[in-house]
Amino acid sequence: MVISINNLVKRYGDLVALDHLSLEVQEGEILGLLGPNGSGKTTAINCILSLLKYDKGEIRVFDRPMAPDAYDIKRNIGVVMQNVAVFNELTVQENINYFCGLYVPEKEKRKQYVEEAIDFVGLGEFRKFYPKKLSGGLLRRLNIACGIAHHPKLIILDEPTVAVDPQSRNNILEGIERLNREGATVVYTSHYMEEVEQICSRVVILDKGRIIANGNKEELKNMISLGERITVETSVLSTGLLSALKNMPGVETAEYDGKQLVIKSAKGKNTLENTLDFLKKENIAYGRIYSEMPTLNDVFLQLTGTELRD
Amino acid sequence: MFAHIFTNRLKCLVRNPITLFWTLIFPIVLGCFFNLSLRNVYGDETFSPIPVAVVNNETYQKDAAFQTALKSVSEGKDKIFTLTIATKEKAESLLADSKVAGILNDGTTIGMTVNHSDFNQSILQSFLDSYLQTSSAVSSIMSQNPAAYQKMAENLKDQTDYTKNVPIGNASPNGALTYFYTLIAMACLYGCFWGMQEVTDIQADMSQQAARINLVPVHKLKIFFSSLTAAFVINFSEILIFLAFLRYVLNVDFGPRTGFVILTSLVGCITGLSFGSFISAIVKSGEGLKTGICLAFTMTGCVLSGMMSQDILYTVRQNAPIIEFLNPVNLLTDSFYSLYYFTSLSRYWLNIGLLCAFIILFCTVTYLIIRRRKYASL
Repeated sequence: MVISINNLVKRYGDLVALDHLSLEVQEGEILGLLGPNGSGKTTAINCILSLLKYDKGEIRVFDRPMAPDAYDIKRNIGVVMQNVAVFNELTVQENINYFCGLYVPEKEKRKQYVEEAIDFVGLGEFRKFYPKKLSGGLLRRLNIACGIAHHPKLIILDEPTVAVDPQSRNNILEGIERLNREGATVVYTSHYMEEVEQICSRVVILDKGRIIANGNKEELKNMISLGERITVETSVLSTGLLSALKNMPGVETAEYDGKQLVIKSAKGKNTLENTLDFLKKENIAYGRIYSEMPTLNDVFLQLTGTELRD
Repeated sequence: MFAHIFTNRLKCLVRNPITLFWTLIFPIVLGCFFNLSLRNVYGDETFSPIPVAVVNNETYQKDAAFQTALKSVSEGKDKIFTLTIATKEKAESLLADSKVAGILNDGTTIGMTVNHSDFNQSILQSFLDSYLQTSSAVSSIMSQNPAAYQKMAENLKDQTDYTKNVPIGNASPNGALTYFYTLIAMACLYGCFWGMQEVTDIQADMSQQAARINLVPVHKLKIFFSSLTAAFVINFSEILIFLAFLRYVLNVDFGPRTGFVILTSLVGCITGLSFGSFISAIVKSGEGLKTGICLAFTMTGCVLSGMMSQDILYTVRQNAPIIEFLNPVNLLTDSFYSLYYFTSLSRYWLNIGLLCAFIILFCTVTYLIIRRRKYASL
């Protein structure tokens, strides 16, 4: 077991940030910690890292109790903080070298690690740049390089893609998958469900400091009653026809905004064929039509009643 | 590990232009301004003979005793007056042009004429009073008891001093030095900005960099000590550069005890660093407030130490002498002052001892706060 959290409680005054949280992270997995802002993701991470005091519970990392002076454990953890944490007075290379040097005292080995980290995040041509000269995306990459240069066995990434352009985001996500393939266990927190869906082998959904769902993507989607979602582009749909659609077998909800008709069907029901038959029968002109399986956002919405990014 | 943290920290600090400006460039610029404004005021405090005109008329020519008295104070190495024997018109013309401080023997009686009252005029008045009193006493004795004259003449020759002059030092007085010493003290205390930065960069609840530093497998206090050493090296180097600038460019005199001057600067730097660390550790608000507190404390200390006016220092000394001992800027200024003026080092060691007490206080409180390695909130 890489991380084991048992019955963790953290309070800020009257606010319960973590409410009897219990969680295990297995070796080799990419665990997504998903939840809206304020759900307790970062607090949980900071407790795992022994930065924050907690009121109750036990945290073990690599099967040993985690503490601020557990240096053998810390040596094998790489952390990419939510905010960029680099020194503006050091260049890209110097920043990575400095943080890597706090884990790896051997100069030659460190030099190799720093080069690998620079290549990993693609900052080779920016190695002599100061952070102030880097764009937001490049800064995030530097932040990641500083966190992973020392080849940790456990990598914790706390919303590493906030305010990052799509291209940089893809680079970061691909990099995380590569690190995992190379043997690192990854804990990835985000409130972007697409990212979590893309890279995580298991997802834990947190809300108000509690775990409300825990499993792989399919398991989570099976937790909800929702099936496929059909979207039809059409500009002609009367209220009567909409009511008829709603009464079709397997349809949970049907909504029309004057341009798009969105039908959510019950789990296990194939509504697409019935919908197409209905449109043809009623001679309704339509443009594009597509069907999607439920997303983690749908899972979150159904479990908590709120949107993930609310 | 120490070398790794130390060198990287040194790079960080050296590349911080704002703090470098306040801790090195600003004191140098201020020193230049002080030099421009104070050199003329305190340029030469060694005593210069006072130019005096004496009217050369019948009264003067007949009064041999007066002539002898004037001669005795206007000749030799330690002369008090530079005499110009002139006609009454010429003497008045010299006085009107301020080329003489006054006119002795205005033509009828032995008296003096001045056109304003100042330090030189007071000396002139004092000399004249003394002469008139003595000559009056001699005249009185001779008229009433001529036999006693011989005895009095012997007594006059055989005057005994019942007080003894003991020199407190060999340095020549220079009022401008105190201003420069205050400036050095200020520069030392500005080391607080370096100390403040070090605590900000080690406390996880104060900066992102510090949060990351708290996750590494190195003891927090080891990192802090290594970083603080780098800050000290920079701060002390700045002070040495500043001292060299004052000594060799602005010709500020520190006396012959160079080793002690450097020791004082070293203690000053440690005081500044520990003070900055202390403020940063106890004030949980933003960097702006911490900087404001450090600046306000240092500048208040400078003002109370006489940086703006020596009268303020005098007022503090008269009315609230305890403040002198509670003000690190004053303790540093007074240390430099003691080294320059006094042969004895007792006053100097008292100041250094008090500064060390401050350092111990600041370091202890800082340690008690930053030794904590888990936080209630981030």
